[in-house]
Amino acid sequence: MSIKVEFFSTPGCSNCDRTGDSLKVIAQAFGEHKVTWRDVNLLGELDYAVELGVLTPPSIAIDGQLVFPKLPSTAKLREELARRLAREPT
Amino acid sequence: MTIGKLAKLAEISTDTLRFYEDESLLIPAGKTEAGYRLYGEGAVRRLDFIKHAQHCGMTLSEIRQLLELRADDSSCCSDVRSLAIRKKLQLEHKIKTMQVMSQALSELIDICTAEDRPLDNCPILTALESSIAKQNHDPH
Repeated sequence: MSIKVEFFSTPGCSNCDRTGDSLKVIAQAFGEHKVTWRDVNLLGELDYAVELGVLTPPSIAIDGQLVFPKLPSTAKLREELARRLAREPT
Repeated sequence: MTIGKLAKLAEISTDTLRFYEDESLLIPAGKTEAGYRLYGEGAVRRLDFIKHAQHCGMTLSEIRQLLELRADDSSCCSDVRSLAIRKKLQLEHKIKTMQVMSQALSELIDICTAEDRPLDNCPILTALESSIAKQNHDPH
């Protein structure tokens, strides 16, 4: 099973787009069979964002849990994904 | 205009105006020789702004941030929008929490059907006591 990364942001936030893109590259480098990336328009899925506890977008959830309420560095995201993949049964 | 005239125009108290001054939300344009506060015409518009922001649930600190953004040439509309989105998320979280509280109260109300029971036998108090005991026993 692949790890699901969800990136919560709002349209029109150019800073979010820039940072999001560099994090997306990190996630996609693991391969789509291992890590999937979904861009979530916060305003379009407000209930879901609130359910996960998103308060200060942009934020990142992994497998339905708010892991990074504030955006991590690329190194931090890579580390987190690698840690989770190592835990996954093969 | 004087503080009294502004208070009357804006329909708020002079105490509130002084409080807004302490909070750096509305600073008088100047003072008379006798030390009375004087406000410019823009003061009414600024008070309207504060009122509208309060209607949207903004705290005074958030309103101050908005006013600072408005006065800052390097800020743009997306900065204001981000602040509004964060506020909306906060409000939605509060609504959700309150719905959970309301549901918990509904459940307590449902278990108490008899109105003439003695206080010692009140199911609501018993349920609250047992849930407190449970929490103390198992904090997780």
